[in-house]
Order: sequence, then C-alpha cells, then structure tokens
Amino acid sequence: MSRFSAWVNKRLPVDETIREHMTEYFAPRNFNILYYAGSLLLLMIVLQLISGFFLMAHYVPTSQDAFASVQGIMYDTKWGWLIRYMHVDGVSLIFILLYTHMFRGLLYGSHRAPRELVWVIGYVIYLLMMAEAFVGYVLPFGNLSYWAGEVITSIMHALPVVGPSLTTLTRGGPGIGSATLQRFLALHVVLFFLIILAAIALHIVALHRVGSNNPDGIDIKKHKGPDGKPLDGVPFHPYYTVKDLFGVGVWLTIFVSVIFYAPTMHGVFMERTTFLAANPMVSLPDVTPPWYLSPYYAMLRAVPNKYYGIAIMITSVLLPLLLPWLDRNPVRSSRYRPVYRIMLIVAGISFIILAWIGQEPPLPKYFLIERVATALYLGFYLLLPFVSMIEPTRPVPERVTG
Amino acid sequence: MSTYRYLCFLLVSMLIPGIAWGAENTVHWMTPHYTFNRTTVIAGARYFADHCMACHSVSSLRYEYLRADLGMTKKEVEEDIMLPNGAAWKGQIVSPMPPDMAAKWLGKPPPNLSHMDRYLGSKFIYTYLLSFYWDPARPSGWNNYVFPMVAMPNILAPWGGTVGPKGQVIFPGRLSPAEYHKNVADVVAFLRYASDPSYFTRMAIGPYVIGIMVLFTILAYFLKAAYWIDLKKKRK
Amino acid sequence: MTIVTDSEHGHKNITRRRFLAAATSAVGAVVAGMVAVPLVDSLEPTAAAEAASSTTVDLTPIEPGMQVTVPWQKKPVIIINRTPEMLATLKETMQKGILKDPLCKVPQQPPYCTNMYRSRVPEWYVGIRICNHLCCIPHYRPKKGSVAPWWLGGFHCPCHGSMYDLSARVIQGSPAPHNMAVPEYELSTEKMSATITHMYPKAHLC
Repeated sequence: MSRFSAWVNKRLPVDETIREHMTEYFAPRNFNILYYAGSLLLLMIVLQLISGFFLMAHYVPTSQDAFASVQGIMYDTKWGWLIRYMHVDGVSLIFILLYTHMFRGLLYGSHRAPRELVWVIGYVIYLLMMAEAFVGYVLPFGNLSYWAGEVITSIMHALPVVGPSLTTLTRGGPGIGSATLQRFLALHVVLFFLIILAAIALHIVALHRVGSNNPDGIDIKKHKGPDGKPLDGVPFHPYYTVKDLFGVGVWLTIFVSVIFYAPTMHGVFMERTTFLAANPMVSLPDVTPPWYLSPYYAMLRAVPNKYYGIAIMITSVLLPLLLPWLDRNPVRSSRYRPVYRIMLIVAGISFIILAWIGQEPPLPKYFLIERVATALYLGFYLLLPFVSMIEPTRPVPERVTG
Repeated sequence: MSTYRYLCFLLVSMLIPGIAWGAENTVHWMTPHYTFNRTTVIAGARYFADHCMACHSVSSLRYEYLRADLGMTKKEVEEDIMLPNGAAWKGQIVSPMPPDMAAKWLGKPPPNLSHMDRYLGSKFIYTYLLSFYWDPARPSGWNNYVFPMVAMPNILAPWGGTVGPKGQVIFPGRLSPAEYHKNVADVVAFLRYASDPSYFTRMAIGPYVIGIMVLFTILAYFLKAAYWIDLKKKRK
Repeated sequence: MTIVTDSEHGHKNITRRRFLAAATSAVGAVVAGMVAVPLVDSLEPTAAAEAASSTTVDLTPIEPGMQVTVPWQKKPVIIINRTPEMLATLKETMQKGILKDPLCKVPQQPPYCTNMYRSRVPEWYVGIRICNHLCCIPHYRPKKGSVAPWWLGGFHCPCHGSMYDLSARVIQGSPAPHNMAVPEYELSTEKMSATITHMYPKAHLC
C-alpha cells in the first residue's frame, strides 16, 4: 500500500494536497454556526449536479414537449418527483446558504484585506448562481418560465447600444421558444455550471492562500507556538471535517423534511404558476421573481422610470463587489464596530423587506416602503466609506474569544 | 394577497374589464372540510369519473396509479373509473370528448385538470364549484360568482340545486347541502391528489427518511464531540 | 494552543472515536444508498414508455391462411391465422422427427404457449419474427414445397438459411439454436384482438 501511494504521490500530489488543504490547514478554533454554510454549499452543489443529471435524462428541450416532459418526470418516471423536488428545493436552500455565507462574511469582515479576492470571486459565484437559477427556471416551460424569460430578456433590451441584439441573441428568435430552451439548457448544464465549479475551486484556493478569518476578525497567524502552528488554529481535518459532518446531518434533515412535507413551500420554493403550461396568450396574474431574486426586482420597481430603475437594479447587484474597498476602518469584525453592525443589520433587514415586497403585486400601497427599503439598502454602500473612517470602535482582543 | 392574485388572473384570462360584482359581493372563500386521505380521494375519483370525466381529462394520471397510490383494486378501477371507450390500464386518464368538438360546443375546450389544484388551490376550486347561479343572459344559462362568464355549465345542479343571482333557491337539489358539500369536497380531494400524486408515497416513507437522517446527525454529533474534547481540555 | 494528542487521553477515547467514526460511516453509507437506489431506478423505462410498449392488433382483417406483421417495441411481430391444413403440418413435422425441440422444452415461449401450436389459441400464432440465429427477419413461406421439395410451410431465413415450421420451431440442420421467441400476449377470439404486452423474460431472442 505504501509503495503504491509512494508511486502515486511521485506523480500526483495527493498527500501534499491533503496536507495543505486539510490536515495542516489551520482554521481558527472559534467558528460559530454561520460557518457551516460554506461546506454545506459545496455539498448542495454536488447534489444539484447529481439530481440535474437524472433530470436531464428525461427532459426534452423543445417548446412543444418541455412542459410535458417535466410533468412526465413528476408522474411517470420512477422517483422522478423526488429528483425534481431535490433539484428545485435545492435551489432555494442554496440561496439561503449563499445569503447566510455572504452576510457572515460582512459581519466579521471576511471580505477585507487580505481576502478581497476571496470576496470578489465568491460574489462572482453568487452572480453566476443567479444566472444559473434564472436559465434553469425557464427550462420547465411553465407559464412562469415563459413570462420570466420574457421579462428578463426584455430587461436586457434596455441596455444601451447592445440591448436589442443581445436580446435576440439570448432568445434565438423573436420570442421564447425551442431555440431559447436549447441554448438555456446548454448554458445551464455546460457553460454557467462549469464556470461556477471553476470559480468555487479558485474561491477555496484563494481562501487557503491567506487563511480563514474568524468572528473576531483578527489574524491567528500573529501568535504561533514553538512548532510554528497558530495557537488559535486547529487542523481542518479532523476537527472541522467532523464538525461539518454534523452540520451536514442537520442540514440534510431539514432538506428531506422540505422535500417530503413541503416541497413547494406553499408556493415560495415552487410558484403555483409553474404548474400551468407556457402560454404566450395568457400573461401571469402577477409577474414576481423567485424569492432569492426579488429584492433586486423590488428595487427596479421602486423607481418610476424604466432606465433609472434598471440602472438602480444593476448598481445594487454590482455594488457589493466594491465592498472590500468601500470599508476603510482598520477593524474587521462588527463585534468591535457597533455603528457598522447597526448599519449592516439595517441593510440586511431592508434586503429581506425588499425580498418580501418583490413577491407582492405592484400595488401603490407598497411604493413608500419599497423606496425607503431601497434607500436604506443602497445607503449602506454609500455611507460606508465615510462612516467607516469616523466610527468609534471597541478594543480588539489579541487572541480569539469564545 | 392570494385573493388578489386570483382576481387578477380572472380579469386577465377572461379579458373582461371591470365587473360590478367585485365591488358589491366580496367573494367569501370557503375551505373544503375534508380529511385528505385515500378514502376521500377514492370517493372523489369515483365522483369525478361519474360527473366530470365526460369533459375533463386528468391526463398526467394513469389508471394504474389509482391502484398503486390509492390502493384501489384493478377491478374497481376498471368498473368504476375507466370509461368504456377502450381506455388502456396503463393509459392516461383522458376524457372521451374530442377537444375541437368541446371548443365548438362550449366556447372553449374544458381544461385539463391535472395540475389545477396546485395552480388555483383547493379553496378556489371548492368555492368555484359551489358558486354557480342561474343567469338566463348566459348561453349556458349559468354564471359563477368567483369565475364570471365561465363557459362551464353547473352540471351538478340536479344534486346541489339551482340558485339565482341573489342566492335564492330556485330548485332544491336532490341531496342535502351537507351531503352535496361532502361530494364536492371529495372531488377537490381527488384533484389535490391528481396534482400532487407523490403525496401518499412521501407521507409513507418520509418518517423513515427523516429518522435515518436524525440518527446520522446524532452519531455525527457524538463523533464531533469526541474530537473537540481535545480543545475543551486545553481550556481548563 | 497545542492540541492534546490521542495518547494523552488514553485508549478509551481512541476506541470511542473509532466506534463513532465506523457507526457514522455505516449510517452515511445507508443514506448514500438511499439516495442512489431511487436515482438509478429513475432510469428504468417510465410509465409512459411502458404504456406505449404494448401493442393491440385487430384480428378481424386477417383471413384464414393470412398473416400480418406489426411493429412492437421496435421488433416485428407476426400474427398468423392458421388453417386446419396448416395446423396439420405441425404434427407432420413432429412425426418426421426433423425438429430440434419439437416439445418446446426450451422456454422460448410463455408457459401458456408451451404446446405444439406455441400459442394460446391453436389457430392464432403470435410470435416475434426474428431468427434465433443472428437476428435477421425470416421470410414467411407457407406454401408446401416452396423452399425444398419436402417443405411443409414455415419460415426461412435469408441470411444463413435457418428453417422453421409454421409454429416457428427450428428444423434440424439450421444454424439457429432454438425456436423463435414468443412474447407475452393476450388474445381474445370474442373481441378479435390480440395485445402484445411484454417480452417473455426467459426467451432468447437472438
């Protein structure tokens, strides 16, 4: 065995990689519950790949048969319902984890120097996930899919100069049809997905280059023992692998509970309009995006002008990329920055309110709350450069707490 | 919110701008009082086969599923549900009415009801079925509070009775209101099953799946504790 | 911080860890299996495919002595309405002793067809028209003497010359090892219809 492993290791750095990323990768010992999200995301993506493979074995990407083939999966394929619920509910659970993961990053300053690239790559993964979710959402070709496809591709139409040709290029014709489904399927399972996988690899490599942050936002490498190992660090394997295994257990229990007892989550994870075949002659009762995209949609609606609305939406989608540079306070963690913490929580709550409003019909009674929440959310980014320079901070401990 | 959505849907799909009833009679949504189990679904399937299947298909379902999911015997399905039109045991539950003919007779083809419960919800279907009233102005003679100008006539009138636009009873039905409501609730139960056929399977195996996940979680917790004890000891 | 190593805890904790690791892995394997089984199961033919897999044939237009060949699951199935003279040849071939498996002992047909007629109803032969040798489609040669002077009627394969009688029983000297396969089917002479449902699992097609 050892001779075999020596033979392999001479040619493939198996042991070295395991040492570098697992057994001798020192993670701070004070990770809290929010830190489960990262490993769970990795698990969920693998599960999406598996369930997606089996869905694609039955899916027909034509406007004639797409809806029927998906219903065939639900009714006629053995265990097809399980696989589709895994895939559809998996998306919502992935976005819950993504938002948790990103909020945790902002809460403890994990996006700050020297982890700017970890944040930027991670945010690009989030953007790609939104694109991946959107194209995936069109594939079953329910009425929701059809109109979501129409609305999003017409948003592209408003882009300056390239808009109209980009819309035609995306649709592959004058409207959403077989050509659209086929290219969306290709994007969903090949292009976007492979880029996401590559970006995840980069995200982890970039993280391991600089080491993990922790809830105190301090550098554990400052205090090393005589053996050169950080005093506040523990080897990722076995300590965090067994801990994450427990997290996996809890999370999968939640996941199967959703699949078995609330697969549509009362219309939140699977909207009721997905159960009607695409019909270009019947618009939806109200066009609302899935919950994980609806904050941006609410911001779009908050502005009473098509182009400014789209500009606000695009800004709000792209602004977080700049966060590592917008924040100028030397202290990372919000544990020692009460003002930053309040701002962050207000922005977070505004985001949740926008997610809720984005799901509601566009009634005038929501306009005020929609605009206030948009202002508060964008205000976080605009105020941060100034507030972070003058805000009071609490003393930061030398060693990790808890 | 959901009420608003339904109303919007109706307005858009029926292409009628503004209806007077919306302002005057707010629709009172009724919740069907049924226990959703195999018995009610089977009763609903029988009722559906007798009263609805002449026009409506539930084509996502197949006859054999009624045995697999609901526990009906093949003989029961063949005698009570299958229409004598050469339907195959493994075939889809399809109405014998040709769609183009149906469109000619009724104005528009009767919709396939496979996913109707998930699309409109049990409350909507139940209230809709109980909201027909006599309206001589309509070609079919029927109108509906929750679905104005509906093409479907109230085929259940002989059992449920006929009411006028103000709710006054014109002809009483053959059944008592309680019995009639029970039958309609059964149909709603059947349609709920039709749009969510994995329900009974999920309920049957769900506890075991969750059980084994909980077992895994407990073991993983103790495994984690057995390792992390190292750090606890250090802190003392 | 230095991490306390295993040895400092003594053997008790090592055993505990090993036991828990084994137990967790075992349950984890069960979970993985629980996911894998339905996933692989989903690749089985769907109910829609199975519904489309049986073929019903109307027998009324097939007059005595005539045959039709219908596609069933992408395979040709021949249905012959055999006359009393044709049925008589089946006994004759057996008496001559020229058949490889006259009593149909090899399960090339469902049990209800294990007789010299190889059918549910003697007049109606229903069988897959694929030569047991190398999957060619044999010619149907019902006329006496049409293939050889001694020919009593049957099937003759154009590829390698396998010969069968009118029950598709293989004749000695043919390269084909067994009689041609008979699928599972239902046949009603009242309704004059035959429904070919599925492949008889023990039968060897070619």
